[in-house]
This record gives sequence, structure tokens and C-alpha cells, in this order.
Amino acid sequence: MAKLIVHQEKITNSQEFIQICPFNAMQEKDNEVIITAGCRMCRLCEKKGQGAVEYIADEVQPQIDKSKWRGIAVYVDHVDGKIHPVTYELLGKARELAAKIAQPVYALFIGNDIEKEADELLHYGADKVYVCEDSELKYFKIEAYTNVFAKFINEVQPSAILVGATPVGRQLAPRVAARFATGLTADCTVLDIKENTDLVQIRPAFGGNIMAQIQTPNTRPQMATVRYKVMDAPQRLDSAVGTIEHLDVAACDLVSHVDVLSVTKKAKETTIDMADVLVVAGRGIKKKQDLQMLEELAGLLGGEVASTRPLVEIGWLDPKKQVGLSGRTVRPKLIITCGVSGSVQFVAGMNHADMILAINNDSKAPIFKTANYAINGDVYEVVPQLINKIKAGEAVL
Amino acid sequence: MNTYKRLDQDDLKNITAFINRDRILWDNEINEEYSHDELSAKQHYPDMVVRAVSTEEISKLMHYASENHIAVTPRGAGTGLVGASVAIEHGIMLDTTLMNHFIELDEQNLTLTVEPGVLLMELADYVEKHGYLYPPDPGEKSATIGGNISTNAGGMRAVKFGVTRDYVRGLEVVLADGTIMTLGGKVVKNSSGYDLKDMIIGSEGTLAIITKAVLKLLPLPKKSVSLLVPFPTLAEAIRAVPPIIKSKAVPTAIEFMEREVIMDAEEYLGRKFPDNQADAYLLLKFDGNSMEEIASYYDKVAQICLQQGAIDLLIADTDERAESIWKARGAFLEAIKSSTTMMDEVDVVVPRSLVHNFVEYIHQLQSEMQIRIKCFGHAGDGNLHAYILKDQLSDEQWDKILNLTMDKLYSKARSLNGNVSGEHGIGYAKKEYLRNSVSDKAVVLMQGIKKVFDPLDILNPHKVCQE
Amino acid sequence: MKILVCIKQVPGTNKVEVDEKTGVLKRNGTDSKMNPYDLYALETALRIKEKYGGSVSVISMGPPQAKAVLYEAFAMGADEGALITDRKFGGADVLATSRTLSQGIKKFGEFDIILCGLQTTDGDTAQVGPEVAEMLNIPSICNIEKIEQVQDNTIIVDMDMPEDIERVRVEFPCLLTVKKDIFQPRLPSYIKQQQTQKKDIDIFTFSDMEDQNEKKYGLSGSPTHVERIFPPTSDKIQQHWQGTAQEISGQIYGLLREKKFIR
Repeated sequence: MAKLIVHQEKITNSQEFIQICPFNAMQEKDNEVIITAGCRMCRLCEKKGQGAVEYIADEVQPQIDKSKWRGIAVYVDHVDGKIHPVTYELLGKARELAAKIAQPVYALFIGNDIEKEADELLHYGADKVYVCEDSELKYFKIEAYTNVFAKFINEVQPSAILVGATPVGRQLAPRVAARFATGLTADCTVLDIKENTDLVQIRPAFGGNIMAQIQTPNTRPQMATVRYKVMDAPQRLDSAVGTIEHLDVAACDLVSHVDVLSVTKKAKETTIDMADVLVVAGRGIKKKQDLQMLEELAGLLGGEVASTRPLVEIGWLDPKKQVGLSGRTVRPKLIITCGVSGSVQFVAGMNHADMILAINNDSKAPIFKTANYAINGDVYEVVPQLINKIKAGEAVL
Repeated sequence: MNTYKRLDQDDLKNITAFINRDRILWDNEINEEYSHDELSAKQHYPDMVVRAVSTEEISKLMHYASENHIAVTPRGAGTGLVGASVAIEHGIMLDTTLMNHFIELDEQNLTLTVEPGVLLMELADYVEKHGYLYPPDPGEKSATIGGNISTNAGGMRAVKFGVTRDYVRGLEVVLADGTIMTLGGKVVKNSSGYDLKDMIIGSEGTLAIITKAVLKLLPLPKKSVSLLVPFPTLAEAIRAVPPIIKSKAVPTAIEFMEREVIMDAEEYLGRKFPDNQADAYLLLKFDGNSMEEIASYYDKVAQICLQQGAIDLLIADTDERAESIWKARGAFLEAIKSSTTMMDEVDVVVPRSLVHNFVEYIHQLQSEMQIRIKCFGHAGDGNLHAYILKDQLSDEQWDKILNLTMDKLYSKARSLNGNVSGEHGIGYAKKEYLRNSVSDKAVVLMQGIKKVFDPLDILNPHKVCQE
Repeated sequence: MKILVCIKQVPGTNKVEVDEKTGVLKRNGTDSKMNPYDLYALETALRIKEKYGGSVSVISMGPPQAKAVLYEAFAMGADEGALITDRKFGGADVLATSRTLSQGIKKFGEFDIILCGLQTTDGDTAQVGPEVAEMLNIPSICNIEKIEQVQDNTIIVDMDMPEDIERVRVEFPCLLTVKKDIFQPRLPSYIKQQQTQKKDIDIFTFSDMEDQNEKKYGLSGSPTHVERIFPPTSDKIQQHWQGTAQEISGQIYGLLREKKFIR
């Protein structure tokens, strides 16, 4: 087992020495500096300790034969056969990675009565789509799905597997990774591959304050999850290239301790706190009826309409829609403010949004200091035209 | 009755000569927000809004106003609750929010010099980044420091640290005739004649216009812990306050809150309060340099609370936990407001030992007057915020019941040796109640002071003590 | 009914920086706290106990200081606690952590329900829960937004799926991870804190583990290696657009397409 050894005689000032560790994993005890269980083996103490800490490496583990693991596999995320678009994004990525190492792309499609949808996957570059159908697989049941997944890995032996970081993928991937005692890297934002088939995975850590590059050098398959809309969606190919294969599993593998009692369509999320996209009405909105225009825009973007304090005060919008210090704090992926001047108390409730787009006809509006995109224009002209463009689905010039 | 000149195109032209036209709002350029403050029911539009950026500009403007007998209403963020920043005589509204610069942090004298338009939340942020605390902590964080000084704002930390007046070392002001004057300074002590600075503080813009302030800072305590203390009844909660104060434990804040108001806040914010086992709570906050130090303070208080009937003491020792409570506390005003059609407020202050009498009286008054009154406030300093709600009453009924209820509340406060306003001020809305609560002689003195500062009565007319 | 909650001590703040030259983490402040997501799991456990009876135990893995989160859990109402701590567990990734935790849980006892928070604020992976379940060979349900009912050695819960809410019944023993906001977590009680401040907790080290293969723990047992860490590229864009409404709306449309808000 790898370990760190502290050479006490080489420490000049133990108090300063202890400060080297960013995890507070060094303590002074009985005049000796010891490393506690807080140690993350970051080896910073070795780098900065001027010889006082020595790293004893692990005895070399036998290397696995990477050539026996070939291809990049994608788990097909779907609801009743309706394929989640993250799947296509991952197939596009898999295609790109596979081309670098000249290996095939696989897709794993688990469910009931889904084969008719499998063809579509071939239009996105899957060389082989493995379909496993059974009435027991109609609903996502973790044990059965894990068993099918395991069977797929044992049969196909893919080098790497990409899974969408959806509610299904996020619980299925770790169970599979644990079964194969292999590495799984969550929420990758960048993926690349080396000639030796090692997957280069980059992901944010500590709430996005740092990025980490992670590899899985000595186990296979390598596994990674990726969120929706992180990778680019590939173009659909006119012709289907690959083939569809069937994956059969034994009935005993489909036994489950979970019963699905009912499935209810989710009510549309109407609280502004949870919405991914917010369209905010400010004082630039002149009449209550004009809010409809913002409702329409929000609807097209799958978001909600929110409000500044003045519009709530005159009763145009419910107080629950108010963003700001005295209202709700929101953190959507996109916020479009329409005719909002940007009072401090408003900005304090929304300045952590991932992307802020402010439309205002006053080029000196304070909101422009906070906005990522300060758009100098008349809401009454820009928004209707934007709505038309979205509806028409125009190609971008 | 004093008559004031209404502004015309010539005035606009004249004023534009020394103030950039871009920063003047005229006629229909004037937003609706300038016609009222946070709570006023009626609208009064100024003829002109001037968004000043310097002392010199204000000096010139005041000189012009005094020459032409134009009423001037100073205004910060407009978050007041008593109509002090409403331009009853139209004229010029002087908006100071663009004067929002930090001028100097003097770490040797522990002072911060700011312009009046700096917002309280910006100020708190700024000093905390430098390791200091500006103790006054009124609930409305988007108010300006100029407004805070003009009302002698208090806030939750008054229990331990006092109020705004205690943290103003010096002021630069512009008098009604345009004279620029410095009062006080960075000095810690001052026995040099009448304290004019202290007269300006709390004068709600009727004596002079504040253009700069030198504030006193304290070192920032490193840690804080809030204790949420559930009690079976509000009476028991509030009766526990005097023994806590007597114990010398010195919490920075002692607030009280009731289930009903908490539920309004839950509804308003769409998030649950972390406890629901009781009808009434005390909320205590302790500051210190380490968690151990703070724990040693609240141990004693915990024993007192339990003896006084507290069900438990709940410890909010992380940011998330504290936020789950204080976010609700911060939303009370807006939450109550959104639970009714219209409301008016009472901001009385009584000796801390008598808070429970007053709160019990409010409860009794609700059934007597058949009206909903919601109440929360600073149990630790005797300052209560009671909100009388209109709900479904007709305007006529509302006026009648509101006036009667107000009269009763203020006369109760008087009988307990309390005052009309703890921290919101008198402005326009509470003038009559001030009259009733202080002696005639005191009113005469106040009017005399006003006359000395502003002989033409052009600064914020009809406010505080003026007819 | 025996309920176990897995809790973790995390840094008090996520404000970490990377030294651009050395690529080393710089931590500001030394405060730590219970992983905020775990508070929801603990609250869920306490509510189940209050409604159906039973006991709530807590387990954590970390340095000796991590005891603090166990005592915090006692002050919130947990009954028993155990800490898994050993230098040999240092440097563990998701797999090695899950293995250590599952070994520790086996040592601690048998539980009907194991509850975990959705994720931690320092690792953010949301993977340890399901991996532990796999290693214990028990069913797992993630993303739970509501506890419906406990009934004859099963629990009925609502799982939040992309488009649906699935109501599922799962047999004991099982592992559940709960969403944030399933319940508002209670605050620690002063009275309970006073009563439990001297309570004994179980300490498990490597020698207590059933699997005595050292290579399966800590850095050696971690298949993933962090090759390097670096600061994220700042994506604070500040652009000022003006033009005709036609031009501007076209630009916005293009931006929304590029950022995948519309397809």
C-alpha cells in the first residue's frame, strides 16, 4: 500500500510544516508530526516539505491487458422508448473518440418494446446497437438493469462507457462501476482519449471552483457520466450504417426487490426557484397584458416568468414571482431581464445565474453592469421578433 | 401658510446650467416610484428630480431653491415607511443614490467615510471584506446610509451595539441656503459646544442635507451563532427577555416572532421554516471569535430560557442554518404585506421590561377592534413593529378602525413611557402622534430649531414637527 | 426498524483555489461542517423514526475530527454513531470510499434502510450511495422526493424521474438517496446536545474490516487517478449589443441556439 513517511529530524518548524497540508491532515502529537486519517494523499507535503516527507509507492500492480477491451459504448437513456437527446450527444462524442483509436461505437438499449426505436441510433453513428427487451424491463428497476448492463460488458468488453448524467444514468452507472470495481467519473465536461485507450476525463470539483483531469489507467471498462447539453449534438446521418444485436438475459437476472406502483406525469414546474430559465418583467413593461409576450417567450424556452418588486406591488404578478433581496433568490441557467433597470435589491437575488441576458432601452441601466449580454433595445420590438424566430426555427446565419 | 414656487421651464433651464440635464428628471420622465415611499397610500409627484453627484452641486441647488423659494425633498432609496421622502409640496426631489462612493477607510482611526447614497448592504459587504463591522443593522438592507442617518435607524443589533447615532462621528452637510458645513469629525470625544451633528441625525431631511458621513467601525467578530428558542406562548417568550438582559450575556440581537407571521413568510418565500413545534419564538444571536467562546455565552442564556418555559433551544451554527431563519425574518414585512390588501404600521418603542405588556395589549386589541394586527420585532430593545391589516374592509371602515386602533396603540405606548417611533421616524404619517406624545414645549423647541436651520422652511416641508 | 444515515464532514466553504504554477489546492479557512445534503437524509430518517418507530444510526468516514458531525447528528436526534477512520483509507476515490463505507456498515450492524444525501458539496459525484448499495448487494433508489409509507418490511417512495414521478415499493434492506428539500432539516437541539455530548461512538479502523486486502483501500484501491487540477477558465462574458431589433433578436436567437436553450 502506498504511504507517506514523516522524517521528524528534517522538520525545522513543526507549526509551519503542519500548515502545508490543505486538508489539515497533519497534527503535532507528543512532539512528533503525524499524518491523520484526513490525508487525501495529495502529496503536497512531499513536494513542499523539503525532504521531511517521503512517499513510498505501491508495489507495481500487474497491468491489465487493455487490448482485450475494445470500443466506446453509450448507454441509451430513454422513457418508454423515447430516446433522451443526451444519448445522441454521447454517440457523437463516442464517434469522435472511437475514430481516434480506430475502434467501434456501441449502444446499449434496455427496456420493453423498444426495438422499433433502435434504428434511429444507427443514424447517429452506432456500429452496433445491443437491444435487451423484456416486460420485466418496462420500468427502470435498478437491480435488473444493472444485471443486463453487466451482461453487456462481459460479452462486449468495451474499453469505455459513456452514460448520460440523468436521474437514471446517475444511479445506474455507479452500480455497474462498483460491480466491475472500476473507475467512474461524474459529470465530465471534456472527454478525450489517448492512443493506449486511456480516457482523459475533465470535470469540475468543489462547486466548479476547480477543474480536475482524471484517468482510469489500470481498470476496464472506463466509465464516465456527462450531463445533458454539455457535448454537441451531432448531425443525423441519412443512412443507417450499423447493425442491431440482441442481448438475452436469464430470467433470474431480472428479479427485483423494487415494484413500480404508479407513474405520474410531472406537473409543470411553476416555482421560479427551480426553473432553469427565467424571463423577468421589469418596469419597462407598460401594461399587464404585455406580460403575455414574456409568458410566450418563457414557454418557448421551457421557463417561467418572474418579476421585479414594482410590478408585484402594483399587483400584476404574484409576490411568489418576485426576485430580489426581499423576494426569492434564484439561480437559473439563463435569465432574460426585460425592461429591468437592475436595482441592487433585485440584482442580489439573481446575480448567481449562469447566464444573464438583459434587454433594456436605457444604455445606462445598472443591470448592464451585471449582465453577460447587455442588449440595448426595445423590449417591445426585440421580444416579439425573437419569439417569431424561435417559432420559425430559423437557421442561424 | 407658506406657498412654494412650482417649477417651470425657466427653472429647468436655470438648473440645467449647473446640473447635467441627463441627471434631471422632468415632467413625464419622473417614474412613479418617486411619488411615494414604501408604505404611503397617496401619491405626490415632485416637479423635478435631481440626481446629484457632488456636494457642490447640492450647494448650488439649495442656493437656487432658497433664492426662489422652492421646496426640496431629499430622498435616498425611498424605502421609508412614514412618508418622510415624499414631495408633498412638489418642487425638487433631491435623489442622492448616485452619490454612492466609499471615500476613505481609515484603519488608524477605525472610521469609514462615505457618500450618502451608499446602500447599507454595500456598506456591510465593504467593511466585512476588510475585517470590520458597521453595527447598525436595520432590516431594509437596500436603504441608503443617508436615509439611515436621517431616521437614526436602529435594527436588530441595537441590543448590544446601539443605533445609527452611536456610529456617526462626523457629517458634511449642505444647509438650506447652500452653505457647506462639516460637523464633528474623526475625533472620538467632542465637548465643543452644542452638538449640531446629533441634531441632524434623525431630522429626516428637515434641517440640512447630508452629503458625507464619517462612520465608526468595530472589529468584525469572526463567528456567530443564532439560537431559535421555541416557547409555548408569546407571553412566556417575551417575559424571558428581561432575565436574559439582566444576565449580562449580551446577545447582539433578541427578536420575537409568532407562528402566524412565520407561516406568512413560508408562503411568501416558498420555503419551510426549520421548526414548527411552537406558537412563539425568541431568536437570539451571539457574536464572538470562536465557537467555544460563543457557546460559553449562550450556556447561561439557555438555562434562563429553559427556566422561563422554553421548550428547547435550537442552534443555528452554520450559514445554511442561520439563513433558513434569518431569510424568513428578513421577509416578514413583505410577507405580511402580501397577505393583505393594504396595511399601516406602528413602530413604537417601550422600555424593554414592558414589551410583554404591549404585545399582550396588541393581542387583546385585535379581538376588541375586530381587525388583524401582525406583530414582530426587537424584543431586546423594546422596539415593536405592528402592522394593522385592511383585508376586506371598505375604505371607509378601514379609515375609521385604523385611526381608532392607532390612537389606542399610541396611547398604550405613552402609558408605558414609550415613544412614537423606534427607528422608522415621524415623517408625514406620524406627526399627529408625535404631537400627542411629547409636551407642547418640546414641539415649540423643535420648531424653533427648524426655524434656525431653515428660516424659509424649504427643506422637506410638513415633516416631523412642522404644521 | 433500523435506519442508518451516511454522513460526511466537508469543508465549511467551497472557496478553493488552485495555485497555477504548482497545480496545488489552496484552501481558505479550516472550518468544516456536515455535508448540507446529508442534513436532508438525516431529517428523512428522523421523520420515518418519529412516524413508525425504530432507531436512527449515523456513520461517517474521515479523520478523527469528523466525530463532530456524529455529535451534531446526535443533537438532531440520532441514536448511535460510528466513525470509520484510518490513515490507510487516505486518498480514496469513489470506489475505494464506497468499499470502505460498505465494510464499515457491515461491521456496524444490520439495517433496514440506509439513507444518503444526494451528493456531497466537495466531491459532487452523487455516486457513493449506489456503489455502497451494490457492494452490500441491496436495492437502491435515488432521487427520492417523498416518503409515502412504510409497510411490512417495505417502504413506498416517490422517485423523481425526468418526466415522471415514479411511486415504487422497495423491500428492506435497501439504500435510498433523497433529494434536497425533501424536508426542511431541523436545527440541532441544545437539550439533546447536552444529553449526548459524552456519548460513546464506535471507531472502526482497517483491522475491523472484513476484507483485509490492503490494496482495496485508500489510494491503492482507487481506480481513478487525478492527473492534475487547474482553475476553470473564467466564463464571465460581458458583451454589449446594439442595433436594430431585427439584428439584436437574431443575435439573441443565435446565442440561445449555441447555448442549447433552443434546438
